Amino acid sequence: MNGKVAVIVRKEVLENLKSARFWGLIGLFVLLFVAMSAAIGSAARGFAIPGLGLGGGRFVVQLVYAMSSVMSYVAPLLGIALGFSAIASEREKGTIRLVLARPVYRDQVLNGKIIAATILIVLAVTVSTALSLPLSMALHGVTVTADDLSRLALSLIPSILLALSYYALSLFISVLSDRSSRAFLYCIVAWVFFTFILPLIASMIALSVLGPPPAISFNMTRGGGQPQLPPQVQEYYRKMNEIASTVLLVSPNNRYSSFVSALFTRRSPQAAAYVDLGSVIATRWVDLAVLAAYAAVFILLSYIFFVRRQEVR
Amino acid sequence: MGVEYVIETENLTKVYRDRTGEVVALDNVDIKVPKGVLFGLFGPNGSGKTTLISILVGLQLPTRGTARVLGFDCVKQSLEVRKRVGLLPENYGFYEYMTAYENLEFLGRLDGIPREELRRRISEVLELVGLKDWAHTKVKAFSRGMNQRLALAQALLKDPEVLIFDEPTLGLDPQGSVMFRELVTRLVKEGRTVLISTHLLHEVGFICSHAAFIRKGRVVAQGSLEELAERYRESRGYSYEVVVQERPEDLIKELRQLEGVIEVGLENNVVKVRSSRDIMRELIKVTEGYRVRSLRELAPSWDELYQFYHGGGRE
Repeated sequence: MNGKVAVIVRKEVLENLKSARFWGLIGLFVLLFVAMSAAIGSAARGFAIPGLGLGGGRFVVQLVYAMSSVMSYVAPLLGIALGFSAIASEREKGTIRLVLARPVYRDQVLNGKIIAATILIVLAVTVSTALSLPLSMALHGVTVTADDLSRLALSLIPSILLALSYYALSLFISVLSDRSSRAFLYCIVAWVFFTFILPLIASMIALSVLGPPPAISFNMTRGGGQPQLPPQVQEYYRKMNEIASTVLLVSPNNRYSSFVSALFTRRSPQAAAYVDLGSVIATRWVDLAVLAAYAAVFILLSYIFFVRRQEVR
Repeated sequence: MGVEYVIETENLTKVYRDRTGEVVALDNVDIKVPKGVLFGLFGPNGSGKTTLISILVGLQLPTRGTARVLGFDCVKQSLEVRKRVGLLPENYGFYEYMTAYENLEFLGRLDGIPREELRRRISEVLELVGLKDWAHTKVKAFSRGMNQRLALAQALLKDPEVLIFDEPTLGLDPQGSVMFRELVTRLVKEGRTVLISTHLLHEVGFICSHAAFIRKGRVVAQGSLEELAERYRESRGYSYEVVVQERPEDLIKELRQLEGVIEVGLENNVVKVRSSRDIMRELIKVTEGYRVRSLRELAPSWDELYQFYHGGGRE
């Protein structure tokens, strides 16, 4: 690493490690996850869900889903927290002028910030997972297998990429902004869009393409069986899901959830073993590629605009 | 041998484009700053001083024209310029959660100063600006004046050949201003070139030996104090002051006879003369018959020159 980039990396990492914002997000993750796992645990006990096997191997899947659900909210916030003020705040406070008056290239400044953010994201995701998952497992007396652990370790990659893609988006917004408050607002708008609005838009698009669902007449099987939807209704919802999923392909949150779900999908509803890792990666690598592409595109745009931008008027 | 210029610009132009149209911040600016002088860049707010400085150190790109510092092109060799120039910009800021020492250490390492040397330099510059006792205090506890001293310290950190200060006395208390003037005077004596941009002439104007007056993005005049004063005299005339101990009325009558004299006045035995030409020799001759305590030419002050070059007498 170039000496000047290393100086910036060191400063950025130390600055964030001293900040309440960084540790607050890790704390938020642990708190949400432990609370969610407690809720899942009590639901499992209360309803004695068949096959859940509290205390057995399958409860860990529920925990992983809970973790990925919390992560899909917190990882973007972590990326935003590290990115929104990266340049805008330096510009606002005037520190950028003292830095750029030094013999450093603008891309070195950005390199330092991106490397530092990557280090911090890896650290935050690993620490959050390492703190919360064993804590929940200990609370519920869950044991894990080596396969569970390897999949958990692999699930850190999409978590890191998700945080990085939001970091890159926030960095780009920060590069364009003069005020960190404004940059923060835009970043939150982007997060709300991908997390809450895009799923709604996807459903609305599917609904407008397919029209209203066919009228349902339940075919209740006798002898206490599961209610069966008529085939045309099942087909309608399959198509609806397909259209919505296609729209959501652009959402980093969706890509993250898809990959983690695939990691912990069982071979069949009755099977205990997961789908083997090789085929998960072979079928879902696009999710990782899209997440990485998000990060790469916005980082590239940040370089282009930051190098071109002039600091003082 | 010709004059060696440390800072040179040629037809330097900067045009900003925004939604409202174009704003010409610098209009064909030609500035020449000789080596080893204290050069004042004087102009009101918004006249283009900060834009000029920003281009010199690579914070902005010019729309047209060239700028060179120590022979290096400010666009193509900006990094070489920044290695050699210490800048105190306007509207700067420090990392508030870091101490004064930590801020200087971070900036010094970006300057590429080796660790051991940096430690020594930080100690030296903090002492120079009177912040040695505050080295390990977080900057968020600093007053504006202390921040300004620290900004001065960071500009001196790499021991640069050229120093550029943008509104350096803004926020300094009177003691700080005195410290600044003494420090800058010393730096120039050591052979450094210092460019000070300000609209507060009373703070630093009188220590400058050279200046450029900038108005609405154009340089309206530049040169040494003598050169600028000469042009002022050509337009406003020469002023003299004679302090006599007897018969001032008789002296006034004689002075009015001299060719070129525009105005003669008397105030407490002090005779003030304004003339369209240099009449010093004649004055010496005329006053021979009187008991004269002093006779001197009144050189225009920087404030008078500022008024003159910014529209008071030259349009």
